Amino acid sequence: MTEELFFTHFLNRYFGGIAARILSAVGAHPVVAGEKSPYFFTYNPAAPITNFFAMEVLVVCILLALFIWTRSRISVDRPGAMQHVFEVAEEFVNHQSEEIIPAHGSEKFTPFLVALGIFILISNLIGLVPGFVSPTATPAVPLGLAIVAWLYYHWHGIRKQGVLKYAKHFTGPMPLLAPLMIPIEIISHIARMMSLTIRLYANIFAGDLVTLVFFSLIPIGIPVIFLGLHLFVALLQAYIFVLLATVYLAGAVAEEH
Amino acid sequence: MPSEQPDKSPKNKWVEIESYIQLGVLLPAATFVGWLIGHLLDLHFRTHWIYLVGLGFGIAAGFVQLFRVALKTGDD
Repeated sequence: MTEELFFTHFLNRYFGGIAARILSAVGAHPVVAGEKSPYFFTYNPAAPITNFFAMEVLVVCILLALFIWTRSRISVDRPGAMQHVFEVAEEFVNHQSEEIIPAHGSEKFTPFLVALGIFILISNLIGLVPGFVSPTATPAVPLGLAIVAWLYYHWHGIRKQGVLKYAKHFTGPMPLLAPLMIPIEIISHIARMMSLTIRLYANIFAGDLVTLVFFSLIPIGIPVIFLGLHLFVALLQAYIFVLLATVYLAGAVAEEH
Repeated sequence: MPSEQPDKSPKNKWVEIESYIQLGVLLPAATFVGWLIGHLLDLHFRTHWIYLVGLGFGIAAGFVQLFRVALKTGDD
């Protein structure tokens, strides 16, 4: 069993009872840590809130606090440092989606893509702080993010073109080949969700592990290099996730010829 | 599927590079997803052969993606 973090312990102490009731209501079975269980969907009754969920809650709290703080000090004449940071992030994503999704009103996707990018970035980076772990180093979190991105691009594809026209994306160029192409396209789309999950999870998990191993081997000096590498990987993976979500959105809202 | 990169700005170069890297993950992922769907259908219908069909479709889906990227590169 993984060690319970301070913040997870705090959440379990005050919200553990509610969390256990919610988990039971949705069909999870209580299983004491270390015991074998025939069930797939289980929770530990002593600590129903897991580390990765607690870290997600923390990231959301940090982001909400930052947004509220920035909103309260927003100024056109004298923008503060945080306002600058968020404006740069918004402009960067907006410019990128304009390039990838031309003539499709890309600006309406910017809020979702920026929120996705910032959440992933902070989730990746929080693992660098001692006493915290990256929630994205647990497969459930990247999978959740990938499902959200996947549903979002399909939803916009259907909204833009209607169900029938969007379905033509799956049938291929020749109607005769449609029975063959439809399962292939469905598998390709599900594989996209899986590849988004695996890439983010594997990179952050590996980054965390390498940093931890070098900390235990040589605690002075050398781990700094790996912390720097982890920082780079965290930034790159957040960028790639948003980039791929944008590319998939572009494919979904584009007219099929 | 439509073309994913309409022009050749430096950022679209990154998108292009990324689509090649994506292939490395998509090929095995598509194969696995195909097998998984077939396996789940096998469990549902109590059969022992649909996983092979799923596996075939999964491999085909991976290769379709590969050909798309290859054809796109050829066009460029």
